[in-house]
Amino acid sequence: MKHQSRIQKSKEWVYRHSLNARICHWITVVSFVYLLLSGIMIFLQFPELYWGKVGFQGYPAVFRLSDWGLSWEEADALGNRRWGRSYHYLFAWIFISNGVIYLGWNLWQKKFYKKMLPSRDELRLSHLKADLGNHVRFRAAKGNAARHYNVLQKISYLMVLFLLFPFMLVSGLAQMPAFTAISPELIDLFGGRQTARTLHVVATVILVLFVLVHVIEVFVAGAVNQIRAMITGNYAIQAEDEK
Amino acid sequence: MSKYTENEENKENRKNKEKTLTRRKLITRAGALGGILLTGCDTDFYVPPKVRPGLMGIADTLTMASQRLLLSGQQLVQEHDISEITKNFPVWNQSNPEDEEYQRLRRGNYVDWQLPVTGLVNQPRSFSLEELKRFPQQTQITSHICEQGWSAIAQWIGAQLLHVLEAAGGVKPEARYVMIDAYGGWYEGYDFFDVVHPQTILAYGMNGKDLPLGNGAPVRLRVERHCGYKQLKFIKSIQVVSSVEGFGRGTGGLNSDFGFHWYAGA
Repeated sequence: MKHQSRIQKSKEWVYRHSLNARICHWITVVSFVYLLLSGIMIFLQFPELYWGKVGFQGYPAVFRLSDWGLSWEEADALGNRRWGRSYHYLFAWIFISNGVIYLGWNLWQKKFYKKMLPSRDELRLSHLKADLGNHVRFRAAKGNAARHYNVLQKISYLMVLFLLFPFMLVSGLAQMPAFTAISPELIDLFGGRQTARTLHVVATVILVLFVLVHVIEVFVAGAVNQIRAMITGNYAIQAEDEK
Repeated sequence: MSKYTENEENKENRKNKEKTLTRRKLITRAGALGGILLTGCDTDFYVPPKVRPGLMGIADTLTMASQRLLLSGQQLVQEHDISEITKNFPVWNQSNPEDEEYQRLRRGNYVDWQLPVTGLVNQPRSFSLEELKRFPQQTQITSHICEQGWSAIAQWIGAQLLHVLEAAGGVKPEARYVMIDAYGGWYEGYDFFDVVHPQTILAYGMNGKDLPLGNGAPVRLRVERHCGYKQLKFIKSIQVVSSVEGFGRGTGGLNSDFGFHWYAGA
């Protein structure tokens, strides 16, 4: 059974990811990991979230880590703000510079338009349903369909790039005393800096979920092929089984 | 109701008049100090006194320089309505310094408290609490933003640091930093970009009353465009210097000696 399938399948190589996309992707991976870890280190030393303009220990919280089994003292001992704050800002700068280069390059090259903008056909309900079905059943695209991003992939990438990442930046800036002096509208936009802090954490959770699904999909579609493509640019396409 | 309420009217006037300081006004303000001239090319305002090595130093400088550039109009921070003042404002870190001298002053209700202003000022001198209260009163209802993540709103009443330095004869041309010492061993350094800001005050009042013990009695600093750790409590003395060398580990403040950013705007 094993060699049977080997013989039948023919491979075709396509150049899938440009050098720019590959470099930016891995810089994003490293900075995301550092931003997440340093963010957690900061959060652990004040593990409560509030809504509105003010919030402090003893003020009604919308989230308390102590309700989830980790006491304030335990969380505090695990965290490290000195390390966390230093690395959070360092990698924020790296992340933002990288993001600006990536967005600028791809907008200029019209890559978002060509590769990520869903077509009208793809946005039809029947197509979306079919695509969702493939995802739920962990069925990866083969043959011609594997040449392009599928529609849910396109939508999620666009949301992360143009919604979640900018939101992380803006909700981060809204917590900075100097930045809210520059632009007090930021506080009003969120309705308070504590709300901005809380939503910063909520968006982090959404991003982590995105990364989880993203990594699962890499394995579903074939980890070696996917990761190789993000390193060398070349992606192997298996011809569709013809019967 | 409270001893400081009569100035609410002034506050309203000021709020309407002074949305931001124009550049010209800023230079005039700085001129009143004496030697200091705040020009755009003064790199001191974009770089911390001691830049950390490597990438970390580049990131620190990028953060400080970008924010300072955007703050060059010396905008005022957002003020809140009196109804938004936080009840039970948190008492954080030091709440009652154990220094014997501080305890003596506290028992005497700070009547003997004196604030020496020394270093690169033209007429070094001391100010008593009563003398500080005779300066034009600055009142502001602002957010206190701790780098840990909490924030609370209070009304602060005090004298502008700039006015106090002026009353000490202004500063000499080589002055670069204002080092402030506190009871309990804390100290912190500030540059003149913050010193000339109208909301940088030596606060002796909070929410219409004298500054409470836990919040830094008798006088604390408010330097509103920074995180909480720059808002030094229990102020003991002020020294104007040309360099931060010789203070602690030479980074320009106890917090930065500990590894936090000297610039706390982010």
